[in-house]
Parts: sequence; structure tokens; C-alpha cells
Amino acid sequence: MKLIKSIVRPNKVDDIKDALAKLNISGMTVTEVRGHGRQKGHTAIYRGKEYTVSLLPKMEIEIVVPDDIVDEVIKAVMGAARTGEIGDGRVFVIPVDYGYNIRTGEKDIV
Amino acid sequence: MKNPKSEIHGSESSDKLKRESDSTRPAGPLSQTRDSEPERRQRLEQILDQARKELSDDIRQKKEGKQALARYSERIDELIRRIYSSAQVQIRTPIAVLALGGYGRQQLCPYSDVDLLVLFDGNIGRAEEKFLKSFLHPLWDLRLDLGHHVREIEDFQHLERDNPEFVLALLDARLVAGDTALFDRFHQLFHVSNPHWYRQILDLLLHLIDQRHARFNNTFYQLEPDVKEAPGALRDLAAGRWIQFLAFANMEAAADARSIVTLRNEDRVEQAEDFLLRIRAILHQENRRNQNVLSHDLQEKAAEILGYPGIAAHQRVETFMSDYFRHARVVSRFLDSARKAARPKRKEAKPVPLGQNLESFHDQIRFRDLEKAASQPTSWLPAFRVAVEENCPVSEEALLLIQQNLDRYSADDFFPTKVEREMLLDFLRPRPGIYARLSEMHDCGLLGQMFPEFQPIYCRVIRDFYHKYTVDEHTLLTIRNLERLCEPTNPSRERFSSILKELESPQLLVMALLFHDVGKWKEENHAEESVRMAQKAFQRLRLPLPSTQKVEFLIKNHLQLSLVAFRRDTEDPDVVRKFATLIGTEENLKMLCLMTLVDIEAVSPDTLTPWKEELLWQLYVDTYNQLTLAYGDEVIEKDSSLAEILAGRPNDLTETEISTFLEGFPRRYLKLVDRESIYQHVRLSRNIHPHQVHLSLEKKDAIWELSVVTLDKPYLLSNIFGVLAYFGMDILRGQAMTSLSGLVLDIFQFTDHEKFFKLNPGGIAQFGDLLQDVVAGRVDLSSLLRGKESSLLYRKMRKRVPTFISFDNQHSPRYTIMEIITQDALGLLYRISRVISRHGCDIHLVLISTEGNKAIDVFHITGKDGKLSESSEAHLKADLEQMLEGAHEINQEHRPS
Repeated sequence: MKLIKSIVRPNKVDDIKDALAKLNISGMTVTEVRGHGRQKGHTAIYRGKEYTVSLLPKMEIEIVVPDDIVDEVIKAVMGAARTGEIGDGRVFVIPVDYGYNIRTGEKDIV
Repeated sequence: MKNPKSEIHGSESSDKLKRESDSTRPAGPLSQTRDSEPERRQRLEQILDQARKELSDDIRQKKEGKQALARYSERIDELIRRIYSSAQVQIRTPIAVLALGGYGRQQLCPYSDVDLLVLFDGNIGRAEEKFLKSFLHPLWDLRLDLGHHVREIEDFQHLERDNPEFVLALLDARLVAGDTALFDRFHQLFHVSNPHWYRQILDLLLHLIDQRHARFNNTFYQLEPDVKEAPGALRDLAAGRWIQFLAFANMEAAADARSIVTLRNEDRVEQAEDFLLRIRAILHQENRRNQNVLSHDLQEKAAEILGYPGIAAHQRVETFMSDYFRHARVVSRFLDSARKAARPKRKEAKPVPLGQNLESFHDQIRFRDLEKAASQPTSWLPAFRVAVEENCPVSEEALLLIQQNLDRYSADDFFPTKVEREMLLDFLRPRPGIYARLSEMHDCGLLGQMFPEFQPIYCRVIRDFYHKYTVDEHTLLTIRNLERLCEPTNPSRERFSSILKELESPQLLVMALLFHDVGKWKEENHAEESVRMAQKAFQRLRLPLPSTQKVEFLIKNHLQLSLVAFRRDTEDPDVVRKFATLIGTEENLKMLCLMTLVDIEAVSPDTLTPWKEELLWQLYVDTYNQLTLAYGDEVIEKDSSLAEILAGRPNDLTETEISTFLEGFPRRYLKLVDRESIYQHVRLSRNIHPHQVHLSLEKKDAIWELSVVTLDKPYLLSNIFGVLAYFGMDILRGQAMTSLSGLVLDIFQFTDHEKFFKLNPGGIAQFGDLLQDVVAGRVDLSSLLRGKESSLLYRKMRKRVPTFISFDNQHSPRYTIMEIITQDALGLLYRISRVISRHGCDIHLVLISTEGNKAIDVFHITGKDGKLSESSEAHLKADLEQMLEGAHEINQEHRPS
């Protein structure tokens, strides 16, 4: 199993959810986050005064998927999140040993 | 508890209890020996099961919850008496078994703790311990959750202040079995011999209430409420009655206060108690344990058991939970009222008259003449307005009067004349206290009577995991959140607070908030339904058309800003451009931004995260910049909005005339003025010659609006500014626009502080003549202004605003945009525009706004070769700074050549 952690633009979450639904993936954790990568924020001017937005609002989507569909899922996420501009985000893939279903107590091993 | 309504601890009650106690006492230990231990236990279990089944049937058959629980408590009484009798061992010490707390009140639920006090009239020795064992063990064997306390009567010489829950439970003590005389002695010690204990118990109680409420964030709006512990639930109800009892039991002087609390609430409180007890009994039966949380699953179950109507489960639950919150609100307000009435009063306080038939007494607003107030519904809103101004509540007495007389009047009776309608708008200005007063109006029913549109959302529940509050409370909370922006405690809110302070008509924002969700009874398109419903209210209030349009715009679009901020790519300039087109003006944007902020924050305490706040702010700034910096490039085109203007034209105007006039004007012009004003401007532009100025001057409330149409020429704008300054007019807002054909249209709003127009009958003509003369070059304006500036009258000392000048060559492909923020002063725009003209720059568009003593002006300018170079900008900036910082006198200004 792999944990796929994606940092994406806030407005792309719905598109990503739709793309994942096509792969029959409906379980995910979505978190509001703030940060910056190479984009490093930007400077805005409001009424003549500059103010810097150093930590940009982003969304973090976490999904755990079986190894055999990892590539497919990454492709779907990246396809839906991409605009081609700086600030599109990042995708991280992290190995997961196993998980438990709290309600049933079942162990997930894929 | 010694119930204030029915005293049960008097001698008469004791006699009755004694009889009951005696009659239930079995013949003696011998009679109990006939059954074996297992048989006796089995019989007791049967009695308990039977009692629980009986209660379950009562609840399902929709019998009153209170009666059903009283019957169940009596069954448990019987059970305890049986066990008590069988446990009688040969001891001489008199014993009394007392029911405490909820059981004492006869409100025992199936799996509630059975709180008992076993009281001995003497020392507890080996024989007494033996009795306790034989009495308590059978109860434990029945798996009853027993909360037992064992005391000697002498223990009640002192109040157990370190055990407040026990002390409070004693207030409801009731004799179940045992010695009546001993119970009477307990009563004497606890209630009679130590009168000062009541005050101490009251303090303990108030402290416990605060602690408990804090665990629930001090709100009865819980998605999954605890029907026992949550604010507005059963414990609050008991607390309200305890407070009444403890505060007023021995104070005849406080009888009035008590009766008011009781009168206003008692019927509704009784209903709420009954409802909550039924729910709690259902929860116990469904969970088979002492579980009082009304979870989402159990809400469905309870709604079904209680027979709530609705095809889908969510409909049944929404109706059921609406009832829950309606009752919880009653209980919550009942407790508040009891606390308010029990507050120590200053004896020396005297009423302070506050306007017609109103006075302040003990920091509350009340009517002087109740009879008169009852017959004058127009005097009710002033009570709440005065309460906001005095920063205190409206008295319970006044609220009771309003509540009792509401039905005599219709919505129109509250606003029969312009005076009352204007008072409402004044009342709605966002400021500290407005939420609390609106809540009082809502609780006593006045808000719903004034605005019947509000009634469909009364206690309405939206069942999801997102909305924490009922729709009406959510609505009021939006206003509370706006009120908090008046004095923000969070630094990140200061930016939004500054927007609020800039609003021209903040009361219209409160009006929009009040109505933004009234259409939420409809599952789809609630914003449109809200607009439809609000229109009726605005017609009744005869709200002026521009105000109506503004409020309707806000209600209709109240979800748009969050939609774009959270779900669209706001880094795409096209998204921002389209959004700015929808919004139209900075005022609309500011209002919608604040509306969105307070609306999201009122969904639940956790909904408005710093993350969302930042996204809202970024969209606000981008849209603001689009509206103020890039609007010059958004010119009117041949589209639907132009077609509408052409189609609705009056007979005296041709299509060509209108199209030619509008060609090249910025699109925002169509958003700034209504259609009639556009036609008027077209007329003003007719047959105009180079040295002519056509103008119209109109007064709207306290503000004058000047529209000037002329042909472009050097120093034109500064001359207009100069004339306004000469007459002492304070420019609040302004738009200066130039069409492709060189036609200039300037619209200014200003105030006439010196009342020049009012004091001089020919003042308007004088103003027009001077403007013509100055534009035509017949009068030297500088010399006129020099004399004015040197007058002491204009040498006002004001707090200095630092000067910021910035240039932007990116937002517009055609213009250099210069933004100036500086200290407002007489003739400021005149001087700025002259410096710009002196540098050989043309002013194409100007956006003027004034916030207090701060002037914020945006100029769209070009030089000889189009946009300004960096060096040209630097020179212009240096000259402007020198003029703004160093020389405020007109006579230091360069004259035009």
C-alpha cells in the first residue's frame, strides 16, 4: 500500500475528487494547509501598500491505495491538478505497512 | 428540591409521606422469609422490568414525559420500600431513605443514577452498617446505578461546600422510606435553621453552571446535544428553578421579579421540560444505559418514535431537531432570566428617564407606563435602540409586556411613518450590543412580528455535519460577527474592520444579513427565495430604490464570493475580471466581502479558518484592484447592458445620441448610476461648446451630487476641484471619466458643511456661474482660493495621515495608474491635479474616496508618449510629495501659465 499525499490548488480539489471517483476511489482525507514551494508566495498591493503573502493557501489530499494502482492514481491526480503555472503543487508517495478498520477491527494488507 | 410551586416539606406533606411510608411497610421480617433469596430477587427484577416497560409504552403512546417519569419514579419508590422493609434489622436508630436530585424530583429515567441518601439519627455503628449492607446489596444486584450517600443527621449542622453536586441534590430531597420525623429534622436543619446557606448554595450553583456551559462552548446549539448536561437542556431547567428558589424563597421584596420570570416562561418551560424528559427516556431505552447524547442516529430513532411527519428521514429529523432547539432556547432564556432576576440589586438606585416613556432602572431599560406602552407598538423599537445606546438589556418586565401584546398588531403597525422607518435603519447600524438586542427582540417574538418573513426560519434546522446552528440563530450570529468587527480583538480581522468603517451605509449590510437566509425553508435556490421574501419587507418599509437594489444584490449574491474564492482559480485574471464585473463597485465588493466573512463564521465556530480568511482577503484585494485600477480598460461595448439602456430610452433621446455619448466611457459607469441618471447625462451633453459647462446638482439626504458634462481641456479637473473647494464643499467620492470623443463626465458626491446652499438662496446659481467662469478662463481661481486658505476657519488641526504615492503600469495597458493616500485638506484635489497637469500629463479617469480625514485617490494618467516612464513617475512623485508634505497653502502652489 502507498500513501499518496498531494498538495494542490484549493480550486482543484473537486476536479481531483472526480478524477479519483472514475478510478473507484472515494476515501480520502482533505486538509486546508498553507505553505510555499518554489512559488514562494507573492506580493500584492492594496491601496498603495505592499503586503506579502508568503504562505499560500493550498489543499492537502491524502489517499491510501494498493500498490498496483499507484501510478494510475498519480496520473489522475496530476492530470486534474495541473494548470501549467508555478504553484500547481506536489505529489508525494509514501509506503504504508498496513492499516486497520476501527469499526470492524479488520487489518488491511494489500 | 423544595419546589417553589408546591411545597412538599411542610407538616402536611410530612404527614402524607408518613402515611405512605407506613402503608408500604411490610408486616415484618417474618413475612419476608417465605420467599427464598433467588425468588425475592427474581420478583424485584420483574417489578423493575415491568416499570421500565410501562415507561416505554407511555413514551411511545406520546403520554406526557413528566407524568410518565413520575409514574416510573413511583415504581422505583415501591421497589426501594420493599427492599428497605426486608432489610430491617433490629436496630433502634431511626433511619430515613431520601431520594435526591432528579429522582427526588420524580424525573427518574430508566437508566439514570438512583441517588439516595440514607440518613441515620445517631452514630453509625456495626448494626447500622449491617443494615446498609442488607439494604444496598439487593439494589446493586438489580444492576441499578446507585448513587448513595450515607450521613448522620448531625452532619447537617454544616454545609458540605466542598461537595456542591451533593448539596444541590439535597434541594430536591424527598422521603421514600423510613422515619418521617427524622426527615422533618433534616428539613429543619437544611432549609430553616441556616437561612444564609441559600446564598452560599446559589454561589456554588452559579459556579457549576458556568463550568458546565464552558464545556459546551456556552451554546445550546450542539449538533449532537446532551439532553441532560448541555446548555438549554434538563440540568439548566433544574438550575433555573433552583435559582428562583434560592434567590427568592425568603425574599418577599423580590416577588415581582420572580413572577415576571415565571409568567414569561412557565408554560413554555413546562412544555420544554416534558419534551426533554421524553427524549431522555427514549435515549436510555434505546441505549440501555445512562447515555444522554442525542446522536445523529438516535435523532432519527427519536423522531420516528415520537411520530414526526416527513417522507424522508432527514425531513423528520429536521422537524424534530427544530423542536429540540425551540425548547432548548426556552430553557436557556429561562435560566438567563432567572440569573438576571436573582442578581443583587442596588437599593439606592433610582429610575433615570430616557426619552418618551422609557427609563433606565438597575441597568435595564423599561417602560415607565406599561399600559401606555402596550397600546403603542411604535414605542417598542425605541426601547431596544436606547438599550443599545446605554449598553444594557431591556428589562424582563418590558419583554413580557411586548410578548403578551404582540398579537394585537401587524407588521405595518410598527412602522407607520417615516420616523419609525428611519429609526429602524438607524437601529441596525452595526455596533456593540446590536446582536444582544436583536436576540431579545427575537426571543420575545417581536422580530418575527415586525418581519413575518423571519418566521419560516424560526428554529429551522439544516441537517448536515456543517451547520451547527438553526437558521435564525445563524442569521443573528452573522450580525454578532459583524458587530465584533467594530472592535476586533484578532489582528487578522483589523483589515476587515477597516472595510466596515469605510462603508457608506453599513445598516444596509445588517439588513441584508437579517434577510439573507429567510428563504432557507426552501431546499433549492434559497438566495433567490430570500430576495423574493425580502422584497415584501422592503416594500412595507418603503426602502428607497437604490438601497433596495443594494440589499437585494447582497442577498442574491451572498454565496458568490466564497464560491469564487474557494472553488475557482483566482490566480486567473479572467476569473477576477468576471467576478469584478458581477460586483460592479467597490462598495458592493466591501459589503459582500464582509457578508461572506461573517456568514461563514456563523456556520460553526470552526468553519472560518485562517486559511479561508486568507483566500477571502486575497480575492477581495484582487477584485478591488481590478475595480479601481483596471476599470479604465473595461469600456462600454455593444452588449446586452447597452441594449437595455437603448430599449428603455425616453422619447426625447435617440439611440445614436446615447451610443455616441457612452462610447469610450468605462463600464463601471453603468454600475455607478441608475438609468434615469444616464439619460440625464446624455441630455447634459447636448449642444455643448468648448467653454461651456453643463451641470446638474441634486441633494440626496445630506449629500449633494454634482454631475458635470463638458469638453476636455487643460486644467479642467483641477478647476472643478478648485471651485468645490472655494465654496467649502467636502468631496466624499467622485468619478471623473473621459469618452473617446473628449467628452468629460464628472460625478462628485460632497457635503456642504458650511450650509452655503441652505443659507444662500441663490447659492446654486452662484456656484454654476463661477464654474462656468473658471472653466472659460474668465476668473483666476488661485487668487480666490488664496484668500480662502489664509482664513483661520480653514486652519484646522487634524491628525496627520502619512502620504503614500504609488504607480502601477501593469494593471492597465493604456494608463499609468497613480494612487495617492494622504491627509485630506481643503483644495487637496485641486493642488494634486494641478501638479499632474503641470507635468504635461492628461488625467483620463479619477476615482476619489474619502475615509474620515484620509483621502484615497486613484488617477489614470498618460504623458505625451502614453504611459509614464520610470523617470517621469519619479519626478511627478517628488513634486507631489513636496507639495503634500511641505506646502498646504494655496499660495505656495505654482500658478498655471
